[in-house]
Amino acid sequence: MSSGSKERKDQIRLGFMTAVEIGDRSFVGGLLVTDRFGRPLEFQCTTPVKPNRTQELLYGPTLVPFILGDLLGKTLLARISIKPSVVMTSRVEMLQLRPKVDVPILYDEAFSQTEQKASAVEAAHSADQQIRIGRQTFRTHEEFITDRSTVERISLQLSDDANMHEPLERVGEALRETMSTVTARPRVA
Amino acid sequence: MQPDQNNLTSSNVAVSYDVPCPRVVEFPFEISPIDLSPVIDIYSSGANVALNRWPNIECRKVEAELIVGTVPSWKPGWPKVHTVGLAFPEAIEFLPREKESDDSQLEIVRRKKKPEPDSGEEKAVRKPTRLKPPSDALSLEDRLFYILQPPLETMLAGQELIMPFEPFPHQYEGIGWLFSQEAALLADEMGLGKTMQMITAVRLLLRGGQVRRVLLVCPKPLIPNWQREFRAWAEELPIVTVEGDTARRNLIWRMPGVPILMTNYEVMVRDMEAMPEDERPKFDLVVLDEAQRIKNRDSKTAEVTRDLKRKRSWCLTGTPIENRPEELVSLFEFMEVVPARATPDLRQLSKLAGDYILRRTKDVAMKDMPPRLDRDAYLELSPAQKYAYTVAEKEGVVQLNEMGDQVTVQHVFELVLRLKQITNFDPLTNESSKLDRLIADMEEIALSGGKAILFSQWTKVLDWLGERLQQFNPLIYHGGVPTKKREPILAEFKNDPSKHILLMSYGTGAVGLNLQFAGYVFLFDRWWNPAVEDQAINRAHRIGQTSTVIVTRFICNDTIEERIDAVLRHKREIFESVLGAGDGEDVSRSLNAAEIFGLFDLKAKHGKGTRKIAPKKPEAA
Repeated sequence: MSSGSKERKDQIRLGFMTAVEIGDRSFVGGLLVTDRFGRPLEFQCTTPVKPNRTQELLYGPTLVPFILGDLLGKTLLARISIKPSVVMTSRVEMLQLRPKVDVPILYDEAFSQTEQKASAVEAAHSADQQIRIGRQTFRTHEEFITDRSTVERISLQLSDDANMHEPLERVGEALRETMSTVTARPRVA
Repeated sequence: MQPDQNNLTSSNVAVSYDVPCPRVVEFPFEISPIDLSPVIDIYSSGANVALNRWPNIECRKVEAELIVGTVPSWKPGWPKVHTVGLAFPEAIEFLPREKESDDSQLEIVRRKKKPEPDSGEEKAVRKPTRLKPPSDALSLEDRLFYILQPPLETMLAGQELIMPFEPFPHQYEGIGWLFSQEAALLADEMGLGKTMQMITAVRLLLRGGQVRRVLLVCPKPLIPNWQREFRAWAEELPIVTVEGDTARRNLIWRMPGVPILMTNYEVMVRDMEAMPEDERPKFDLVVLDEAQRIKNRDSKTAEVTRDLKRKRSWCLTGTPIENRPEELVSLFEFMEVVPARATPDLRQLSKLAGDYILRRTKDVAMKDMPPRLDRDAYLELSPAQKYAYTVAEKEGVVQLNEMGDQVTVQHVFELVLRLKQITNFDPLTNESSKLDRLIADMEEIALSGGKAILFSQWTKVLDWLGERLQQFNPLIYHGGVPTKKREPILAEFKNDPSKHILLMSYGTGAVGLNLQFAGYVFLFDRWWNPAVEDQAINRAHRIGQTSTVIVTRFICNDTIEERIDAVLRHKREIFESVLGAGDGEDVSRSLNAAEIFGLFDLKAKHGKGTRKIAPKKPEAA
């Protein structure tokens, strides 16, 4: 392996972003950036966001995509100091963030099928949007088909055996741990 | 002026009143004429004339003002989203070590599997080993640190770490546990791969940048073994052994950039004591192998070890308790999980053990491992041995009785040793029923191409046996063999098919060696402590063993050996009833002074009669 290719490999940073709904319709988001082996480099998680009744009525079905994408996802990507080369998410709502950021976002469809029911906002998609990384197949944003070629280059540097579900599970677990710690903490009067 | 009432029908004319209407409104529709002559019955008042006067109406055109009434305004404002961040330490890259030609026997397997398509229904392979936050990790950052680490399998495979073979599930579990512990005592039963688990955990910590400087302290004879194991399990990690003269050792202790230093207990104690406190090296992790070496908290070794500057403290031992549960306290003190000089009770010890000790037995962890068959060979002494034994015992007991209260445990112990030696062989005639039985067994073993290890308490007995087992090409391994010659002896025993038996002393051969190619173990005489016997047996009965290990204990009938065996069995039962049968093997059943006295019916003259001789109870502190 030449030193040049080693350098490029070492520069690959994978982002894993998801959000979980905690009781009472609050949402928290988390973004984990790892190296190409899945070793964690940085993690950011948000404080919970809870829409009020007016927001629920006025945003209607666009509420959750807005919270997950524009509020949580965008904030996380802005705050993370190690910028990921690609972001994988298990929430289709976060895929809709793609037009507002300059990093490819991929949606892990199989993960969501096991973890949650497909969202109403999920759009029909073509085979052109699909791309395989490691053992999983992801979907690009319908308006950013060109992400496919970018991601393919990154994918070549990763093991064919890499499990891209697993880091998303880690993020989910970390978010639940964060919330359980925060809610268990006694309030100071 | 009287207004022209007909003109008021025009739709585009605004009508303005001075009073009472303040606003001018443009009516987009026909308006009806207004009767401005109200009929009012009023009393005459002087001003009534004014009421009959036409109001003064002036018409003018104005611009319409369209002001829509407002509701409370709303903007889609959201509170600012805050984030909490966690950064991880930078990983360290190690250059792979160049392959050494003589290591060719080691089958190196790159742990890279063939890609399997993910059909959504992934094969239900073994559950990945996730790291769990240690029980004492209270801060969220600490807990997230462990939760966000990849499973061990991913770590090991993903970083392309080369390992001789895939770790067993219990080993993954142990590695994960060690990785997340600052204080840990890995007390797996001998043969389950404590060494490998420790090396891999250190390897992951080093590569993950969580530790940068590690000190491994082990008994001197085990240093070559550790070096070999590091080469096998973590070939890329540079290890430096602290050895040589004082100047060289001082240089090594202070050498920067050495990730792993290895030394033995004696050198560590000597060098640390000689070094001014502020110049002593600091370590991220100190590992004590055979940590029962510090079981006596007042020993110099324990004191110096506790003073080592470190962040993490790990202990490895297959026998965390050799005699009394209190021995654990010294280890816990090193691990800094109890305050200095603490005296936790059994309940507290049990709680600490739950948090900081990981112990698995072969029965549980390695169900697929070939079994170990214990067969106690009860032998009759040969006539010459029997005579020598009877004489020695009678004379000895008489002498002890005559000593009365002057007798000490040392005196009784000497008699026990003399009798034990006679059960091995008669010093005058060299008759030995044990040797006869051993030769008979060895002939069978040698014919089938097998290999056996024999343990004895005495190096003299080993040398004596060596002379008499020449047909089996014996090799001798005990404390009298120079350290440099020990490794070649083990290699010769492994590789030379004509070498059928290795004669070892309990002291030197019982710990840390991997002799799983031997299928037979003989315990020529009994050790005082079954834990040491178990350690000896487990040189052969350990991971990698492919066939049943047959263990033969020689016990001579009607001798001290039978009585020692009975006492040890009884003690084993008591410990098992206290600590549970599943974990009984980690408890040593050493004989204490009272039990050594109890091997003989010693009596002192007391007035006209006699009274039992027993050791004095230690005075209360």
